[in-house]
Amino acid sequence: MIFKLSWKNIWRNPVRSGSVIAAVLLGTWAAIFLSAFFSGMYEQHIRNELDNHVGHLQVHAPEYNEDARTAHYIPRDDSVARIIRQYSFIHSVSNRTLANGLASSSANNYGVTIIGVDPDEERQVSRIHEQINTGTYLDTTRRSPVVVGEPLADRLKLEIGSKVVLQFQDVSNEITAGLFRVVGLYSTSNAQYDETHVFVHKKDLSPLLGRSDLTHEMVARVDDFHRADVYADSLDAMLGGVVVESWQDVSPMLRYINSSLDTMMFVFMAIIILALTLGIINTMLMAVLERTHELGMLMAIGMNRSRIFTMILVETFLLTLTGVPLGMLFSWGSISYLQDTGVDLSIVGEGLREYGLGTHIYPIIETDHFLYLALMVAVAAVLAAIYPAWKALKLNPVEAIRKV
Amino acid sequence: MAVIESHELVKIYDEEGVPVRAVNGVDVSIKRGEFSAIVGPSGSGKTTLLNIIGGLDEPTSGTVSIEGTDLFALDQNERIDFRLHHIGFVFQAYNLIPVLTAIENVAFILQMQGKPNRECRQRARELLESVGLSDKIDKRPNELSGGQQQRVAVARALASKPDFVLADEPTANLDSTSSANLLDMMAELNRKEEITFIFSTHDQRVIDRARRVMTLEDGKIVSDETREPETA
Repeated sequence: MIFKLSWKNIWRNPVRSGSVIAAVLLGTWAAIFLSAFFSGMYEQHIRNELDNHVGHLQVHAPEYNEDARTAHYIPRDDSVARIIRQYSFIHSVSNRTLANGLASSSANNYGVTIIGVDPDEERQVSRIHEQINTGTYLDTTRRSPVVVGEPLADRLKLEIGSKVVLQFQDVSNEITAGLFRVVGLYSTSNAQYDETHVFVHKKDLSPLLGRSDLTHEMVARVDDFHRADVYADSLDAMLGGVVVESWQDVSPMLRYINSSLDTMMFVFMAIIILALTLGIINTMLMAVLERTHELGMLMAIGMNRSRIFTMILVETFLLTLTGVPLGMLFSWGSISYLQDTGVDLSIVGEGLREYGLGTHIYPIIETDHFLYLALMVAVAAVLAAIYPAWKALKLNPVEAIRKV
Repeated sequence: MAVIESHELVKIYDEEGVPVRAVNGVDVSIKRGEFSAIVGPSGSGKTTLLNIIGGLDEPTSGTVSIEGTDLFALDQNERIDFRLHHIGFVFQAYNLIPVLTAIENVAFILQMQGKPNRECRQRARELLESVGLSDKIDKRPNELSGGQQQRVAVARALASKPDFVLADEPTANLDSTSSANLLDMMAELNRKEEITFIFSTHDQRVIDRARRVMTLEDGKIVSDETREPETA
């Protein structure tokens, strides 16, 4: 009886009911889609940073972390690498030679980190080779090739074939330098990184540092980067004489971004749900106040307060029950479509690059998160009905009947 | 035995700080099968008295007993439930539920009493036939004339087989033909089924048909006359 009356009541004003359904639909869609959008954005940012710069795990000599001098290389790097590779969760490892120094061209000079790599190994842990916009990666027959970031090339006025002198300290802390030729210009989503990092052959850099083959850093990819902390701890416990760190340890900012996602999502959801709740309270309150006379009459003829309360709740519940599944459907559709094509934000591409993001954001959401958000909206919508229903309870039948 | 007994009923309203005695020490006793009218000028306290007798409004002091039950010893929810089972209401503005059809409006009372659906519809149909609306049972209020809506309201008031029906200015919004038809119908229900009707009115047509007329002035019953009514 109450269900039937509630159902008929919500269709007495289709525009108002439609607006509640639309509000719930939009609220559900916004909650789910924005969550997926920001999850996608953060995931993309982290993946970009890990794929292009940080890697999943890093191994250094303990002294290197204190003082990044070339003398602080990893002793017995071959055997360390061999042990690491034995672990099933390790996907690939690349040994890097590092030197902090100065890049000089005929036009200018600038402080850089020089990364010496074996191109075949490096391909397995980083995607810099895919970010070459001009020229080639290090797999070239030219002598002493160097790949530089586009911002650095602009600053030093470098182009393909340009000479660049890289100056740094060797393992004996003596100043040394080498002449390199630019073979490729790369550009990642992190402009600051691109301006301060250059890539050379490990075999070209190590001799300049005073040893034929030096490793300052091992970068590894693992099967699940979300578990890098656990993997790093187990490797660190296993290996002596080196420090194994996860990307979260190496880049606290990324860890912070990752953990702040939940907080940010909570704030976003709270705003959306608050707006939705206020919208529903406002509309349902109108629906109650508009029917004051009728509700008074219902009380007069014997409809008790709990039935009136239930009737208003059921009305909201029916509207919510329509709005939430529609919102879920819309968000599922839009996320499914955009997770392939991406949300094109190229219009603000430069700004996004500053934040280490590409121009396309690919929304992602997990099923349980999807259902959880939909449930949260539904619960908020039903809770929003309590105030108008409670307001209806406060009506005095005599005063209510007098109102027309 | 009296269906309704009131003793020393007083209702004082506070109007902008000034106490107003809308009902001022009313003792009234109404027996089963009466067809009574409470009359008086506007502001004399008719509707207030009717609302108190119906348990819609609480008196400042005094008691109302219905079939031996002290109405104001009940809490609000108990009183709503009491109304559902013992009192029928007919309002000046019909007050039907706009989204329900005539039969649904009448059956609604019975459904609230927890009666089975089939029984509710059967009784509602019979009642609508008895008020001459057998061909309008599936019409919504906005598809019915004022007189027809008030007939549905009477059918609804009778649905729960109440101890009495309170009708507040039931003809105020009706034309003379509809008023006459409605009064005929209620008089017949009173005569045949001994249903007790109490009207609050200043409509002379209603007063003429009443067998007992209580005149209210300044919240007090100034005359209480029992007589043979004029026939329609």
